[in-house]
Amino acid sequence: MRKLHALEIRDIIMDKLKLISRPVNWNKIEDPIDLDVWNRLTSNFWLPEKVPISNDIQSWETLRPHEKKLTMHVFTGLTMLDTIQGTIGAAALLPDARTQHEEAVITNIAFMESVHAKSYSSVFSTLCSTADIDEAFRWSEDNPHLQKKAEIVLGYYNGDDPLKRKVASTLLESFLFYSGFYLPMYWSSRAKLTNTADLIRLIIRDEAIHGYYIGYKYQLALAEESAARQEEMKSYTYDLLLELYENEVKYTADLYDEMGLTADVKKFLHYNGNKALMNLGYDALFPKDECDVNPAILSALSPNADENHDFFSGSGSSYVIGKHESTTDDDWDF
Amino acid sequence: MANQVVELDDNGVETGKTGIDNAMSYHELNAMINLWDTEGKMQLEKDKLAVRKYFLDHVNQNTVFFHSLKERLDYLVENEYYEKEILDQYRFEFIEELEKLAYSKKFRFDAFMGAYKFYTGYALKTFDGERYLERFEDRVVMVALALAEGKEDIAISMVEEIISGRFQPATPTFLNCGKKQRGEFVSCFLLRIEDNMESISRGINSALQLSKRGGGVALNLSNVREYGAPIKKIEGQSSGIIPVMKLLEDSFSYANQLGARQGAGAVYLNAHHPDILRFLDTKRENADEKTRIKTLSIGVVVPDITMHLAKDNEDMYLFSPYDVEKVYGVPFGDISVTEKYQEMVDDPRIKKQKIKARTLFERIAELQFESGYPYVMYEDTVNRANPIQGRINMSNLCSEILQVNTPTTYNADLSYDQIGKDISCNLGSLNIAMAMDGPDLEKTIETSIRALTAVSDQSDIVSVRSISDGNHKSHAIGLGQMNLHGYLAREHIHYGSEEALDFTNIYFYTVVYNAIKASNKIAIERGTTFDNFENSTYASGEYFEKYTTQVWEPATEKVKELFAKSGAKIPTQDDWKKLKKSVMEHGIYNQNLQAVPPTGSISYINNSTSSIHPIASRIEIRKEGKLGRVYYPAPFLSEDTWDYYDDAYDVGPDKIIDTYAVATQHVDQGLSLTLFFKDTATTRDVNRAQILAWRKGIKTIYYIRIRQQALSGTEVDSCVSCML
Repeated sequence: MRKLHALEIRDIIMDKLKLISRPVNWNKIEDPIDLDVWNRLTSNFWLPEKVPISNDIQSWETLRPHEKKLTMHVFTGLTMLDTIQGTIGAAALLPDARTQHEEAVITNIAFMESVHAKSYSSVFSTLCSTADIDEAFRWSEDNPHLQKKAEIVLGYYNGDDPLKRKVASTLLESFLFYSGFYLPMYWSSRAKLTNTADLIRLIIRDEAIHGYYIGYKYQLALAEESAARQEEMKSYTYDLLLELYENEVKYTADLYDEMGLTADVKKFLHYNGNKALMNLGYDALFPKDECDVNPAILSALSPNADENHDFFSGSGSSYVIGKHESTTDDDWDF
Repeated sequence: MANQVVELDDNGVETGKTGIDNAMSYHELNAMINLWDTEGKMQLEKDKLAVRKYFLDHVNQNTVFFHSLKERLDYLVENEYYEKEILDQYRFEFIEELEKLAYSKKFRFDAFMGAYKFYTGYALKTFDGERYLERFEDRVVMVALALAEGKEDIAISMVEEIISGRFQPATPTFLNCGKKQRGEFVSCFLLRIEDNMESISRGINSALQLSKRGGGVALNLSNVREYGAPIKKIEGQSSGIIPVMKLLEDSFSYANQLGARQGAGAVYLNAHHPDILRFLDTKRENADEKTRIKTLSIGVVVPDITMHLAKDNEDMYLFSPYDVEKVYGVPFGDISVTEKYQEMVDDPRIKKQKIKARTLFERIAELQFESGYPYVMYEDTVNRANPIQGRINMSNLCSEILQVNTPTTYNADLSYDQIGKDISCNLGSLNIAMAMDGPDLEKTIETSIRALTAVSDQSDIVSVRSISDGNHKSHAIGLGQMNLHGYLAREHIHYGSEEALDFTNIYFYTVVYNAIKASNKIAIERGTTFDNFENSTYASGEYFEKYTTQVWEPATEKVKELFAKSGAKIPTQDDWKKLKKSVMEHGIYNQNLQAVPPTGSISYINNSTSSIHPIASRIEIRKEGKLGRVYYPAPFLSEDTWDYYDDAYDVGPDKIIDTYAVATQHVDQGLSLTLFFKDTATTRDVNRAQILAWRKGIKTIYYIRIRQQALSGTEVDSCVSCML
């Protein structure tokens, strides 16, 4: 059923794409943010093979059975979101692109989402047995809250309102992922699965930029609308966030109750909900004192690269692809 | 969040009021130093709370209690935790006094990182890993007892030096001394591989054996024939060095030291080896899985000729090691490419390929952006500064060990034909700030040299004969340094400034004098030197020339004051002349004396900045296998020192190179030098730094690190490390 859904959306997209066929000229930049983000995304490019996940096998074996199960469920949940975003979500934004460069950025986003989805698989295949993996995927198909989450977002991707698509996409990038991201950050602050956490941090690094960028484009589009329409979008955004939040709280409880972490994860959801609103140009919804995220998690999130590491621990999440520039004779003057 | 301070007595037992917010764990308190408080201020005091909380909630509750020292030692010996032979060298009363001395120093961990690292990584634990059997003081005493080899006065000096933080033995020594179930005391091994299957398989075997015992292993691949070289005269047969690297990588990930740390390895290759580009490409982000090397470190050996060819923008020839060995009768790595370059180019018997010299350097820089690798060793600089007879053709996992080696040959049944000399090195570092605080820098250095010498004497790696033979002949040690930036900041000197360079120069000048003097003293006491001393420039006196013909003294008032305040005596030309005479007459005991390692873990325990680098960040985020993410504030960090703690990315490569250059001239081996760049840097900036380093006489370059700032709009709110 859902599969058909996706194909339909693709058809619509393909139809719209046919209308625009001019070559993209990167020498004429209409919006400098496009170029900024493009440069950042390409220099951030990475593949899951970069991270030595197998160094986490020992650590994985120290997790208790319910902790392992939780971790796998979290990861299947994330896989599902990234699958949606990679194959449908990002592509659904293409027809609404304001510039050709934006199209290029969005295709990059779509591709990286697929890299993310594959990354979770490589964590699975390194750490778990096939039977466990199958169980986890079955769980994700059967969990009503996870399914509902997918349904809500897919519904808006499918709708014909470009602004609403952007809101849905931003909330997905900046909000819905984080109930899942909490866990690897939690483990890494307790010295578990630190290489997996590196991989997730690379994903967070990407998602932070995706959410920011789509939100930015939303604000540009919104500014051109009538006051009434702006008002409508605002209440729509808060409504959608609340709808998602309600579902997310249940999903969180399903996952984290057994570990006693639900309250803490909820604060994290508030924090990121506010962040998603900020990306869309709106005021925070959750009061500050409900957002005091566990500092160990908050600090672990930092997408910057001032992390120090030794050669026993893999390359961390900090290296980037460099800009090539040839040396000249002056440089070799000795 | 109201956190109150809890008073603890000497044993960490709570005596004062409680009231620490129980909702906050020590992890969370520690993480708070990475966040601003609601008024936008640093929360450094949270780290002290984290230390206390850690003792209250974790350490004290998980420490096995003994009624007396006697009971404790008996238990530990009986249950095979401690080595009986070590304790038996001493009177029980003496051990009791030594414990008392250690506890009287009121040692406290300044940073949560230090305490956490010590208890997770170093303290003796019950075999089930659940409870602690040692506090920091107990570990120090046990290390001193093991290294003093029964001499009471030396054991006392060692406790004094270590507990005061002036001297800190390297991890394998500090971790293992006195324990019955332990790895080796030595950190670091360097192995040659020759161009035959016996040597390659022995190399892999040795890599397994050595990483099982802890520490890192570096192997030299320069001698191994290239891809497509003939085997038994049939062309196109060899698969080159990449499969050897794969085998090594897998070996290292298989072996670990009782699970304490993973095996780690590095391989070095001469820039003129035909596989050099393939070698570099193993670190590519998009390399094929079959050739991709993830956890093995790589290093390139760069001779002067390569720099000159690049200067003239010429082609550089790559020479088949197989042919070179046939022509010259010695392995490729033992030939000076600079010296023989033209000869080899003109020799039709040697197969060669060519690439653009500058392309090689650009490729190196690209890879360094992507992966931080390769390390670089400037071969001719290293050999010019080498006082020992022989050739240095490789370095180690941290690029600070630089010693000569000789090949091992095998019989057809794989037994040894002739055992060559491979390299091991044990390390320990001085905390510059504490050493300068005194009271007696000369004694600190002598005690350190004796401690390191004891480690070398007690080491016997029987599973790798070339290593144990090499160690018995050379007694090589590596005295390192750390907390340079910490000391400079505390004394209100900017890293890389004129005063900083002046201090670094005179400090290292003072250290080298006292290190040689101590080694000379040991040679006199024992009536023996390292093997082949007579052919070193120490024996000829040539080594001392720069000290006996040139006057070395502080150039700035500030540095004069610092030394006056410290009471550390700066050696005079006369002192050097006397020392020269004594060394030429009696020799020195240690073939090598100094090497400055990057000091990861031990600098946290010692509350130091790493090595002689600038800090990576005022609040450093550290990720390690056993620790997770932990936040470490620079030592002495306060409002007062804030401005003197420019981080390494702001300091920039030039000042780091200047600092290392003045230190390098007084160090017989190497210094791990990491270069730090902002993400605005290009491959050209990296190349320029490499050229500058070579010109200034830097011997090796360790990692290249690039800092990427979060795109504005995507930072984490109120995160200290994002805003700095």
